[in-house]
Amino acid sequence: MYLLQPHVHSRRAFLKRAGQLAFTGAALPTAINLAAMGEAAAFNAGNDYKALVCVFMYGGSDYANTLIPADAASYAAYQTIRGTTGSSLQNGIALGRTAETIGGANVPGINSSLLTPLAGGAPISAIGQSGLQYAMHPSMTGLQGLFNAGQAAVMLNCGPLVVPISKAQYQGSNRTLFPVPPKLFSHNDQQSIWQSSSPEGSTIGWGGNIGDLALNSNISNGSNSLFTCVSITGNAVFLSGDTALSYQVGSGGAVKINAVGSPYSFGSVGTAINQLISPTGRANILEREYSIVNKRAVDAEGAITSAIAGFPTTTAPFSSFPGGYSLSDQLRMVARLIAARDTLKVKRQVFMVSIGGFDSHDNLLTDHVRNMGRVSGAMTAFHNAMTALGVADKVTAFTATDFGRTLTSNGDGSDHGWGSHQFMVGGAVNGGKFYGYAPPVSVGGHASGDSAAIKAAPENQWHVGQGRLLPTTSVDQYAGTLAKWFGVANTELTGQGSVLPFLDNFAGRTLTVNGTSLTYANDLGFMKAP
Amino acid sequence: MHALAEPEPESSQDSNKNEPVAGIKSTTVATISIASALLAACGGGGGGATGGISGAVLPSAPGFNNFPQAASDNEAARFLLQVQFAATPADVSSVRTASFAAYLQQEFAKPISTGWDWLEQQGYGADAVLDKNVYNNAIADFVVWRDLISAPDTVRKRVALALSEFFVVSHSSMEIDWRGYAMTAYWDVLNQHAFGNFRDLLEAITLNPAMGYFLNTRGNQKEDGKGRLPDENYAREVMQLFTIGVFALNPNGTVKQDAGGKKLESYTSEDVSNLARVFTGYDFDPAYAPSSPNGLQFPGENYKVWAREYARRPMTQRADRHSTLAVNFLGASIPARPGGAGGAAALKTALDTLFNHPNVGPFFGRQMIQRLVTSNPSDAYVARVASAFNNNGAGVRGDMKAVWVAILLDDEARGTANLSNTSFGKLREPIVRFAQWARSFRAYPEFGTWKLFDLSDASNSLGQSPLRSPSVFNFFRPGYVPPALGITAPEFQLVNETTVGGYLNFMQNVIKDGINTPTKDKAEVDYSNYTRDFLANYDGFTALINNANHTPATNTEPVARAILTQLNTTMCAGQLQAASVTIMVNALRDGMVARQVKASSTPALKRETVCAAILMILACPDYLIQK
Repeated sequence: MYLLQPHVHSRRAFLKRAGQLAFTGAALPTAINLAAMGEAAAFNAGNDYKALVCVFMYGGSDYANTLIPADAASYAAYQTIRGTTGSSLQNGIALGRTAETIGGANVPGINSSLLTPLAGGAPISAIGQSGLQYAMHPSMTGLQGLFNAGQAAVMLNCGPLVVPISKAQYQGSNRTLFPVPPKLFSHNDQQSIWQSSSPEGSTIGWGGNIGDLALNSNISNGSNSLFTCVSITGNAVFLSGDTALSYQVGSGGAVKINAVGSPYSFGSVGTAINQLISPTGRANILEREYSIVNKRAVDAEGAITSAIAGFPTTTAPFSSFPGGYSLSDQLRMVARLIAARDTLKVKRQVFMVSIGGFDSHDNLLTDHVRNMGRVSGAMTAFHNAMTALGVADKVTAFTATDFGRTLTSNGDGSDHGWGSHQFMVGGAVNGGKFYGYAPPVSVGGHASGDSAAIKAAPENQWHVGQGRLLPTTSVDQYAGTLAKWFGVANTELTGQGSVLPFLDNFAGRTLTVNGTSLTYANDLGFMKAP
Repeated sequence: MHALAEPEPESSQDSNKNEPVAGIKSTTVATISIASALLAACGGGGGGATGGISGAVLPSAPGFNNFPQAASDNEAARFLLQVQFAATPADVSSVRTASFAAYLQQEFAKPISTGWDWLEQQGYGADAVLDKNVYNNAIADFVVWRDLISAPDTVRKRVALALSEFFVVSHSSMEIDWRGYAMTAYWDVLNQHAFGNFRDLLEAITLNPAMGYFLNTRGNQKEDGKGRLPDENYAREVMQLFTIGVFALNPNGTVKQDAGGKKLESYTSEDVSNLARVFTGYDFDPAYAPSSPNGLQFPGENYKVWAREYARRPMTQRADRHSTLAVNFLGASIPARPGGAGGAAALKTALDTLFNHPNVGPFFGRQMIQRLVTSNPSDAYVARVASAFNNNGAGVRGDMKAVWVAILLDDEARGTANLSNTSFGKLREPIVRFAQWARSFRAYPEFGTWKLFDLSDASNSLGQSPLRSPSVFNFFRPGYVPPALGITAPEFQLVNETTVGGYLNFMQNVIKDGINTPTKDKAEVDYSNYTRDFLANYDGFTALINNANHTPATNTEPVARAILTQLNTTMCAGQLQAASVTIMVNALRDGMVARQVKASSTPALKRETVCAAILMILACPDYLIQK
């Protein structure tokens, strides 16, 4: 029986630890309570440091041009579906095998960016195919190099799921036995579901829940617990936990609020503003909320500013980040904060950065050259910086996105989909490998006139129309594997109140479709032992 | 004459002549009758007009229009700060003399001036040397800031800003010829229909070139039988964001559920794929294409660009690119269209279907309440506004004026009960704070050039700039819940440890020294000769500094109190808490003593004194949360 969880991420830490609290009889502020509970023992072992860095690609990244099926049979199918290619790209969104001009720029062909799994590794787990090969988008030279060097890995066809599900089950009406995530294909909701398992309006994400468990490690090490979950991008639910807050730092550092000093040389006015922004005594809860953020900003800024001052952007490795785009600036700030980890006294951190522009309904070829080049360039620079800082095996960066897109073309772009391919980068990643199942390259079996045989064909079982991938690995499995490496105990990942509410629905399950059996593990194996 | 040059859309048949689809005339005529009815109802000046207004035109449901007239300056200011940007003494007086309804009526009747015409007057389109304006976004920033800060039809501008956060088009990816003109034309469309009918607005934005580019209707092609399918972007977002939303709604905005308590979704993936067929075949008006006789070639260039006129022409349709397939969505059926014929009729059916969907009133109405009044309106409030959307009292659906009136004259907006409700109100969004300051203190450009650029930078600026949302999902979502707060507060999606300081630091600089602006005496944009512009005028406040001596504090305290009392009404509708006022008065009193501020002080010192008072308010949560 599946463990369905209607109360996703609902104050889970509180519920889970209510008994322990009663046991200690403590009546302390919440943050202190968590520290006193001694939970997540794994986090306290040794004097090590670990960080997870979520790189969110807003807009829904096109999976089929991120990892291009490159063996002869798969590429032929890809090219047929995505339109003729070569030097004339009219009506086509397929990338060429050899160099071509895209948007005025010369882009190498996919033959130049083939991925070479490390020797001795298992072949790519493909459904109904053999001899499968992939190329990374040709603009992703940096990540391609990291993959081939065993420092990066690929997660194939991952997306939000509640339970393992086949196409027939998805198309059926039994949502009690075979629930699916709500509001599929909708940007804002699927962003939220990737980050928090719930659609828009959700307030607790799995990054924040992992942060909850890490608060203790940081507090007992003398850190401000605020520095546990740090966003360098705008507000997102991912980093909000039950207790852990999403703390925001700009790409250039924490912003000092000048008005609490001596504005226009009126010292008394600065003092007054410091009083006015205090949450104390405010009845209106909106006023209080604004005050709390304002106060927090004032109180935390100095520590951040002085900690990163010793790691200026002009010195290596921070000077090696590519210029001219925000994702690189954001990851550079993460690198500087990690460099300052001893000053900030943090032992476990979860970060979030983001890049937009992936909603490629139009201009997929030109936009993807730029976007994937940026993802690759910034993540590679980040990994190199971690190596230089000696923490490459302590820091794992991973990608996420709203959803994958259709395999079909609408002329010069693709539409909203479901499953997508992601990257994991870092010295602790079992790199140079593909995880999950390679989806068949097919869009068939969904037209009303299709024969029963076509609808039942093995290659048509893993998309829900137009090549929108039915995920064969859930976000919960992907996140669970990262969380386990980070130090989250198994007891926090399973059972009522799990950090990942649907993970128990997958562990050890098998789904057999047309004689092909898929297994769903709660540790996908792409991370080395903690 | 082009539609956008028309002075008043609701009284002009011409305003629709460029729109290719029938079915608009009736709503236009009906709108006129509503306007007349409202005018008749309010004509007496409003005093004691409760029965007249609600009976003749507007919803007569309980809770509406029990507060026809402002009882104090603060009540007038509260209304003004909801319905427009600023509460100047003149406007406060105007509201108090008449009634809330009469003030709205007066604003509804004001003529519209377009941003497009202003760009032409400034010469951004004419000068062939300035071909860089083909690729210049910033001129649209100038247009919108100018409207928000100085346009006389201020209520129209305020609701147009609200509309721009519902029907979102953003500069962020506007990579087309005359992009600044295209964004300006979109802004003009929102203004043009802000007091018209929702159905007309829906059609106008659907065919607008900037929207066409932003959500990919432009260039959208039919299925080719070989795997290529229509682009689904507009079909999806016009349902999810612009009309009905993802869930089936009750008239009060709550989500419908099935017997098992599961929320009912309002459309399926199939609905999207079908509706997408309707939006195929569209492109910019080819009469202005580079290859047309109107195409422009600048001296010294070897290529041609679009003539800027295209940017305000509705997109046109090519039958050979229009889907031939039948469309079945939301229970409506549009037959197959052999040869792509009948695209206009298909569009009419599709937009009529969306417009007449029962979700639109509560979905649109609730979000407009959130933009203007409060983040968490009661179900009954939403129901009253939805009812006004559904029927303005004269049998017309989608009358925008009826929606604004219902939102702003409702008891929940006007009554004082909510002032003590601890979850009432909304965070003033940064654009509105900035526009309020600029209007309140006449921070205008010295030479009328309006060179206010993108203010989106979160660390060093407002963190928000009009028509520059990061995506079609706006700066913030209507359902955003700050994690620690637990209730909906959309504007808080912009609030974090970076933006609170970025905003305040920016304002601390700007309220005293204005904005650093390039060549402020010339219309064209270059990026040299930076000087300060947009200097606020605080004469009315510096004049209050009449103390002969700066000591003892008993000399400065009355001055400090006078300044803050006036600012409290102008900026906060009197909503500063007494304790906050005390802190501010004492700080300003003591600061004046320390800085030796008195009647004989220099103008610069007096200006700093007033700025210090304003800065305290801009930082204060009593101000930031508008109630």
